[in-house]
Amino acid sequence: MAEEADFKCLRCGHRFKAPYSPKDEPQERACPQCGSNSVRRIKEKAKGK
Amino acid sequence: MTDVGRHPRIELLTLSEVVDVQGYIGNFRIKVLRKARYVDEKECTACSDCLEVCPVTKPNEFDLGLSTRKAIYQPFPQAVPSAFVLNLEDCLGNNPIACGKCAEACDLKCIDYDMQDKEVEFRVGTVIVATGMDVYDPTELDEFGYTRFENVITSLEFERLINSGGPTEGHLIRPTDWQLPKRVAFIQCIGSRSEKRGNPYCSNICCMNTVKDSLLIKDHWPEVEIKVFYMDIRAFGKGFEDLYKRSKAAGVMYIRGIPGDIREDPEAKNLILLSEDRNEGKVVEHEVDMVILSVGLVPNSDSPIIRQLLTLSQTSDGFFMEAHPKLLPVDAPTKGVFFAGCAEAPKDIKDSVTQASAAASRANILMSAGKITIEAITSHIDEELCKACGICARVCPYHAIEFDKEKKLPARVIEASCHGCGACAAECTFGAITMRHFTDQQIISQIESALGENPQDKVVVFACNWCSYAGGDFAGISRLQYPPSVRIIRTMCSGRVDEKFVLHAFKLGAPIVLVSGCHFADCHYISANRWTQKRVEKLWDKLEKKGVRPERLQLEWISAAEGLKFAKVMKEMEELRKGVTMEEIEYTQKEL
Repeated sequence: MAEEADFKCLRCGHRFKAPYSPKDEPQERACPQCGSNSVRRIKEKAKGK
Repeated sequence: MTDVGRHPRIELLTLSEVVDVQGYIGNFRIKVLRKARYVDEKECTACSDCLEVCPVTKPNEFDLGLSTRKAIYQPFPQAVPSAFVLNLEDCLGNNPIACGKCAEACDLKCIDYDMQDKEVEFRVGTVIVATGMDVYDPTELDEFGYTRFENVITSLEFERLINSGGPTEGHLIRPTDWQLPKRVAFIQCIGSRSEKRGNPYCSNICCMNTVKDSLLIKDHWPEVEIKVFYMDIRAFGKGFEDLYKRSKAAGVMYIRGIPGDIREDPEAKNLILLSEDRNEGKVVEHEVDMVILSVGLVPNSDSPIIRQLLTLSQTSDGFFMEAHPKLLPVDAPTKGVFFAGCAEAPKDIKDSVTQASAAASRANILMSAGKITIEAITSHIDEELCKACGICARVCPYHAIEFDKEKKLPARVIEASCHGCGACAAECTFGAITMRHFTDQQIISQIESALGENPQDKVVVFACNWCSYAGGDFAGISRLQYPPSVRIIRTMCSGRVDEKFVLHAFKLGAPIVLVSGCHFADCHYISANRWTQKRVEKLWDKLEKKGVRPERLQLEWISAAEGLKFAKVMKEMEELRKGVTMEEIEYTQKEL
């Protein structure tokens, strides 16, 4: 099963899950809500914030 | 191909694989693995004596398994060189107890079981990539029954069936009873033009291939009833529409609508197709003797290896990307590399020949001139400042930076290979790299000028030359309005946007900074914008650590055709700018 990670859109604030593996090549990501590419992966230790 | 094989100035390497490519335009060093043929190709006359005694029988790959071959064989009838090849994986071996019959039968003693693979190196000035394509495997489209029903075959298998040199010597038979089918159905767009399964693109050749096949059947067996199920017939080339009309005039029925299901009559082995006739608007059953799936084209399975070897770029469909779709349609982004045929996109024979001729001419222009003129926008490394860390060499998408890891010598730019993206200059932490015409000083001056007055009212936008900046131009010529607070700073690639440019803009009081570049599949510098994304992600972390909202640094991929998107994003930036307070700006200026 593909690994997933949490992402946050820095444009509209929407949070979502998407396939992610640290071994993968960088991918073009877009927010499913607003379509922005300012999508930031929420790292494990920052999840609580 | 025979002419190529005989040409005194062409060295044809068959059974060979390119394993390494180093160097740059005019100076490529190519390592080729010449695989052992186990037959002396110069001595072998393809007399077939060995073939007659070989006891091994295997499916013939050229006939797609519709016929058999021996362990020693000629791959296909017109193969060049006209010599046999021994597949050692199939061969029983030289041990006389096991076999060794072919060596015994060969009067010229061409067979050498001890032949070894060998690596050879060539120096060449230019490279033409003509690695072709594969055909789509329809196994996943279970509704068409390719793996369940013997009388469902692909268009490529059909080509072998009706070829006079094929397994049936050109006789059209259906696989279950070896009789001439009386009713044949072609189903178009198998693996093409589908967003869900297969590929979203049109494979270009399948419509005309079916039209040609239908005429071929009608010429030889006029009594055969032919039905073609299609979405659209794309007969766009010279003479294609005439051929399509000829096919219809010959009695071929064209039915708009792809069958949703195929069932088999278990006794007669006939096939029942259930389809909606979109012209008539009703569901109809069609009983036929044989179904031919018109399969699409897919990129060659070895394309990722070739891409790595030659630092090429692939479009989202997996075919190689040309340097420019209109102005440099046969050039690769790597200088001195050209494309011919389906390696670049699905195309028919005529287009492949046209592109091959163009690629040969493009290569010849360079080879005849013996020298090239390069762009002035290249990077330069200051040897005194370079600490030989090698990061620049790692980020360069063109392998244009030489770096000796062992000796730790300063890196050196091969200007003939450098395309001027500037990713190396942005990544160098020692300030050793100068990007000519887009120097740090020039860009910083632009930032300072943009934020000289009332910086809190400005949005700083870094836009790449080829896509985002062109998108801005497109918005302008389309008379699309976007806020006047936007200050655009052009770089050749978003990969040039150094961390220090962004931080400098924030330090000068910019409320919002946007970094924009090409979409990943469109990057004009192969993969330089991947480094942009990585850098922006690092900057978000850095800003957050300093207590600055990462939302103030934005990232967007905007293509040259997306003027509307450019204007929309600029309006969004203005909205974000309004949300940044003076306190925030002052805090940022103090912290950075």
